[in-house]
Amino acid sequence: MSQTDTLPPSGLKQLWLKWRFHLNILLILVPLGFMPKYFADASLFRGDSGLGANIVENIQVGRWTLDLAELRDEAPRAEGPAGYFKAFNAACTSCDEGVKATYLRVGKPRSLRAAGTIFFGAPARMGTSLPIPPRTRPDADIWITIEGWDGKMYQASVPLAKASPATAAWLEKQGGNK
Amino acid sequence: MARQSRKKSNSKLWFLVHSWLALPIWFFVLIVCFTGMLAVVSQEIVWLANADVRASKPDDDSQRLSYQQVLDAMHKAEPELAVRFFSQPDGSHFALQASVTRADGTNALLYVNPYTGAIQGQRPDFDFEAFTRALHGWWLVPFTNGYSWGWYLVSLLGLPMLASLVTGLVVYKKFWRGFFKPVRTGHGPRIFWGDVHRLAGVWSIWFIAVIAITGTWFLIQAILADNHVTISSEPIVPVIAREQVPQTADGGPAPRIDLDQAARIASQKIPGLDISFISLPATAYSHYSMGGRGWYPLMFQTAEVNPYTRNVDSQFLLGDRSALEFVTESMRPLHTGDFGGLAIKLIWFFFGLVLTLMVFSGLLIWTKRTTQATLAALKRGERPARKRAAASPTTLEAQP
Repeated sequence: MSQTDTLPPSGLKQLWLKWRFHLNILLILVPLGFMPKYFADASLFRGDSGLGANIVENIQVGRWTLDLAELRDEAPRAEGPAGYFKAFNAACTSCDEGVKATYLRVGKPRSLRAAGTIFFGAPARMGTSLPIPPRTRPDADIWITIEGWDGKMYQASVPLAKASPATAAWLEKQGGNK
Repeated sequence: MARQSRKKSNSKLWFLVHSWLALPIWFFVLIVCFTGMLAVVSQEIVWLANADVRASKPDDDSQRLSYQQVLDAMHKAEPELAVRFFSQPDGSHFALQASVTRADGTNALLYVNPYTGAIQGQRPDFDFEAFTRALHGWWLVPFTNGYSWGWYLVSLLGLPMLASLVTGLVVYKKFWRGFFKPVRTGHGPRIFWGDVHRLAGVWSIWFIAVIAITGTWFLIQAILADNHVTISSEPIVPVIAREQVPQTADGGPAPRIDLDQAARIASQKIPGLDISFISLPATAYSHYSMGGRGWYPLMFQTAEVNPYTRNVDSQFLLGDRSALEFVTESMRPLHTGDFGGLAIKLIWFFFGLVLTLMVFSGLLIWTKRTTQATLAALKRGERPARKRAAASPTTLEAQP
């Protein structure tokens, strides 16, 4: 230790010595800075801030109408080897007992078995996590499929660029890389 | 002679390491300890503050209702409610919690009286429990891509904590004789806080070790998860096959068994299964999921009951765990102290307080030493005094 004492401190060391205790202040500022975001997120998950972002209202699917919204106005999130996902919410107050399940998919499903990801939860607020292959065309449509207890399927589509402009923009960029 | 002086300088070095471990971030460490201490008893604090979360008996011989009876009572009071999940907090003095979706699309957590099924209130927008845990656990930094960097920031503290335990024991000569050493008052604050620090330290050796090791596990857990490494043997429950969902003649929903039937089926199939939480099917192809603590209170057992076929389609019991999972799954309850009711929580709370005090007293000692060291250095003349004081404030005071 006594050796280091006699050496003239380098610029970096001096900076560290002078500012190291300010690390405390910096660290305390972190949760203060994130607090509004924390409460905004809590409100989002409670549904107090509405269904989500870029709500597409009154989509007619069979005899029902539903609203679709992306949870957040942002590009898909990477979830490891499973790929990229985008969280969507839907509200279908007109969905009665006749509705067995509601699905979401990029591109038109050919059958009920490939209807896409299923919406979880109560009809008033359902959620699903939609896989977005990076090769998807930015002008693709996303398809909502309602499966009735009568065994029939009812479908409607929304342009992806309308339901999630950020995803369309992200796909545009992905395409540019290839 | 030479050996002795080397030993002495070694211990000086250990002492320095010990002194410096928390220092540049002492306030951060202090708040993390403090919020951790609060988080342990946050549920109890809410219980004290908010009458809605208490399970008061209407009269002495009231019996607890079953889950289905509670559900029926709730639907009678509010027909539009969609109940997703029931959970009984650990302790019969807590009201049952029900996660619901309202017709307007908002979610809420309702407090329900387990004896009457009455909805007593809902979790306020400011959720003290969740907030203290989020602050303590990940410093409120949001999870956007895998684990939040706040989680890393906090869990990294496990390492210097472990190091300060080890170095503290090394520099505290014959620490095992310190358990009943009285704290000296009347010799100035330096001596007082030093005695407090050492006394608190020896009594909380076990606790610091537990918190530091489990804290470090949280770091490892995040690293594993962010690299998509899993050590879990928990089965992934597939959705119910289309063929198992019956078609109805009138095009209406297929009949499902109710909550109590589902719970009974699981209890019959799995003796000793405690059902302290149960979730209703989230889709037409979902199970009733339920579970609770097993005989080993640090881990949960779960079962999935098919609402159409009445089969237990999947289960994850204590016996299904690997030896490694017994260790890793015990880490979280060991950290939070929520595995043995109020008594354990209070012990964790008390030692959490002691730990907070350790950080604080450590800082006070350091401040006193630094002031003295700085003064001493200044007195010695104007030579390189300022540099010396700044570069090694503790070297002059290294003798404990």
